[in-house]
Amino acid sequence: MTSQQATAPRVGCGSLRRAVDGAAGEWIGLAVRLALAVVWGWAGLAKVADPAEAAQAVRAYEILPESLVKPVGWGLPFLELALALLLLIGLGTRIAAAVSAVLLLAFISGIASAWARGISIDCGCFGGGGTVDASKTEYLQEILRDTGFLLLAAWMVHRPRTKFSADAWLAA
Amino acid sequence: MSEKNRDRKRSARERMLQQREADEARARRKKKLIVGGVVVAVIAAAVVTGVVVQNERSKPETPTAAPAGTIGDKNLVIPVGAADSPSVLTVYEDPRCPACDIFEKQFTQTIEQLEDQGKLQGNYHIVSFIDRSLGGNGSKYGANALACAQDVGHFRAYHDVLYKNQPQESDDAFGQKARLIELSQQVPGLDTPAFEACVNDNTYAGWVSAVQQDFDKSGFKSTPTVLLNGTPIYPKKGDEQISPEKLVKWVDEANQGKKLGTTGSPTP
Repeated sequence: MTSQQATAPRVGCGSLRRAVDGAAGEWIGLAVRLALAVVWGWAGLAKVADPAEAAQAVRAYEILPESLVKPVGWGLPFLELALALLLLIGLGTRIAAAVSAVLLLAFISGIASAWARGISIDCGCFGGGGTVDASKTEYLQEILRDTGFLLLAAWMVHRPRTKFSADAWLAA
Repeated sequence: MSEKNRDRKRSARERMLQQREADEARARRKKKLIVGGVVVAVIAAAVVTGVVVQNERSKPETPTAAPAGTIGDKNLVIPVGAADSPSVLTVYEDPRCPACDIFEKQFTQTIEQLEDQGKLQGNYHIVSFIDRSLGGNGSKYGANALACAQDVGHFRAYHDVLYKNQPQESDDAFGQKARLIELSQQVPGLDTPAFEACVNDNTYAGWVSAVQQDFDKSGFKSTPTVLLNGTPIYPKKGDEQISPEKLVKWVDEANQGKKLGTTGSPTP
């Protein structure tokens, strides 16, 4: 009786793993890859329009020295767009996903640090950014959202094989 | 003999298989390296391009053209009242900012009296950051229109008209240039073809951006930010809550024993 209880979940786990390893996994991978590509594309495009705004969004975190504020504010949207492009076509999926995960970890730490220091800012994740009224901060939502994206990236690092990817085409 | 032969054959086949596997592994490694290199190159190229492009696109922090009569080392500040007034009231305001409207409703009259008495010069930094969080152009276009009014000597009156007619923060009415021109009709002599062209062409967009970038770097984080002779006084000076009476008292205290500014020619 007890042994049955112990083995039951393992069977479920095994079939799930088989499904994830097989063709179904590659389809899930495609969905995850495209979802992450959309997130980066959206985030990048939203920040490209106004360089001064992008710089100020970075400055508002009060982490980087003034000399790095502009290069980061200006370069970051293009990094995000490059990741979007790579994930969209599925080229170097594992590397792109790993860079995504590092970037998301940096964002989450930045937001958490602003929260901990009592600075009132908009994360500027999808455009905007800068100081906001203390009542308008959304640190928890922003961190949870980025954590969700981080899980997508982690999945891609773990299982970079996906349907309709340049990687699969090159490997064939 | 045949036994030995078979052994040799098998080992030859094995060697061939091993060789092929090793070749394939090497080819896979090479492919991986190439793909990895391409990915890293794409990312690096994107970032470098981004920094270069955005540097090219960003507006200078020192404006190429500033409205007439602006002061400060980059001509970012609009002065109101006599330049030789003993006290200076520095005001950072966004045309779209509701808190600025509250400040204006309570203090405009007092500030203008102090200016007209030669006790105080107003120094206005017209910033434009609310568009960033709410979208639209009301802050930027409003600030440009104020610069256009300053250019022809009607800043103060037009500034007051804009705040009296300020829309809800979420309503981007000042993003309509026609609305800004319509409001200029309330200032006698302001609504001219030159002013309309200045508003419609967004003539001082570069200056507006420079003023905002100066504010970005100032360390002040919200509007209105109000300083009397460099000390923040709004909503409090130290522990003391501001009021129109207090403002007059503070200015008089600061001006004690000093010569008042040149009055007589009422400021526009």
